[in-house]
Amino acid sequence: MNTQFPVPATGPSGPVPGLAVYPLPGQRGVRAAGEVGLTTRAIWEGVLEQAVREGEDVYYLELSDVTFVDVAGAGALAAAAGQLRDGRRFVVRRPPAALRRTLDLLWPDHAGIEVSTS
Amino acid sequence: MTAAVAEPFGPLEPFVHPALFYRDEQEYLDVTVPFVRDGLEAGEPVAVAVPGKNLALIRDALGDAAGAVRLLDMREAGRNPGRIIPGVLRAFADTQPAGRRVRIIGEPIWAGRSDTEYPACVQHEALINAAFRGRTATILCPYDVQGLPDHVLADAYATHPTVIPSGSRAEQASDAYAPGAVVDRYNEPLAPVPDALTFAFDSDSLSQARHVAVGEAARLGLAGVKLDDLALATAELTTNSVVHGGGSGVLRVWTEDGYVVCEVRDRGRLADVLAGRKPVPRDQRGGRGLLLVNLIADLVRVHRGDDGTTVRCWFAT
Repeated sequence: MNTQFPVPATGPSGPVPGLAVYPLPGQRGVRAAGEVGLTTRAIWEGVLEQAVREGEDVYYLELSDVTFVDVAGAGALAAAAGQLRDGRRFVVRRPPAALRRTLDLLWPDHAGIEVSTS
Repeated sequence: MTAAVAEPFGPLEPFVHPALFYRDEQEYLDVTVPFVRDGLEAGEPVAVAVPGKNLALIRDALGDAAGAVRLLDMREAGRNPGRIIPGVLRAFADTQPAGRRVRIIGEPIWAGRSDTEYPACVQHEALINAAFRGRTATILCPYDVQGLPDHVLADAYATHPTVIPSGSRAEQASDAYAPGAVVDRYNEPLAPVPDALTFAFDSDSLSQARHVAVGEAARLGLAGVKLDDLALATAELTTNSVVHGGGSGVLRVWTEDGYVVCEVRDRGRLADVLAGRKPVPRDQRGGRGLLLVNLIADLVRVHRGDDGTTVRCWFAT
């Protein structure tokens, strides 16, 4: 039934994109590459759980190489940010449009999440 | 089906949900303006979500008092009827002080709503009763008896427990009130469209499905935020199919009447009649996918069948 369509290269592991996570040199946080969806949700949630545990005032999530985050992925971020106390926050750098859109619509106060486009 | 939807439509009190039938501007203002003023005098939060032309009428008639009322153009805020309960009505009602009655004028059905939109409109009116039963709120729904066809006016008697007839200012009970039956009757099959791009997906091809949909939508003229929104909607619907709908489904994308349409069909049963129409408590982890789809699409239609569910979303090009 399916017509074959060209599928853009979508991440570090080809047609079934993964989510790779790297340390962020010189800063507390991680750089992620790939996409956040059903198949990579556990990796993403693991990153966020670790981030909450680390107890830093500011924890950077560099997402310029993340091409998509679904609603559950945005929800995991909002839930993790909700566990931060005492003025701690996530700084989410250059997130994909989908994540900004979802946060704006479903978590409009972005509590504990600072979105940076630079 | 009837048994499945009967329970959500139990006794409504203290919720009040009258339809107002109006023949002209004067009849419109004769009921809506006192409704707003009575609410303001009682210290009740008041919102008016009606088409722009009628919104201007009410605003002008209220004068300075309009400043105390939340005013929304329903043609924008309620373009997708599935957005109205979570994005307009509950969004307003849920942020008011507890215990005080909330008053809303909501006009979701106007002359010019298309035949494609109407089943979603009338199901929305029926589902307001399920979404607000037991809540201290009054939602007054005006119907333009000059501009709307007879079957729409007849349906308003089935979706509203009380009505205010044209020329009257008093509510009377509607003997035809049967919101569950309306939801079922307008659960219309969505026939597959020939020549649409068709892509069968499962858990291994969720990402591919999204890329295929975005590529086709872009080719058909969708761009910018609308294209991002279609990507989000496709991801949520296909993920729902994999998680709740039997593990796989079929995605279709095509264009019609100035819209790109994205459809996902699977073998799941969507049991909750209010799925995607309820605000989700902040501490609840999941369950926001269909809500987001309702918030971003220009129209969402759903068919719940015995052998599966079809969700179709329209995005204006």
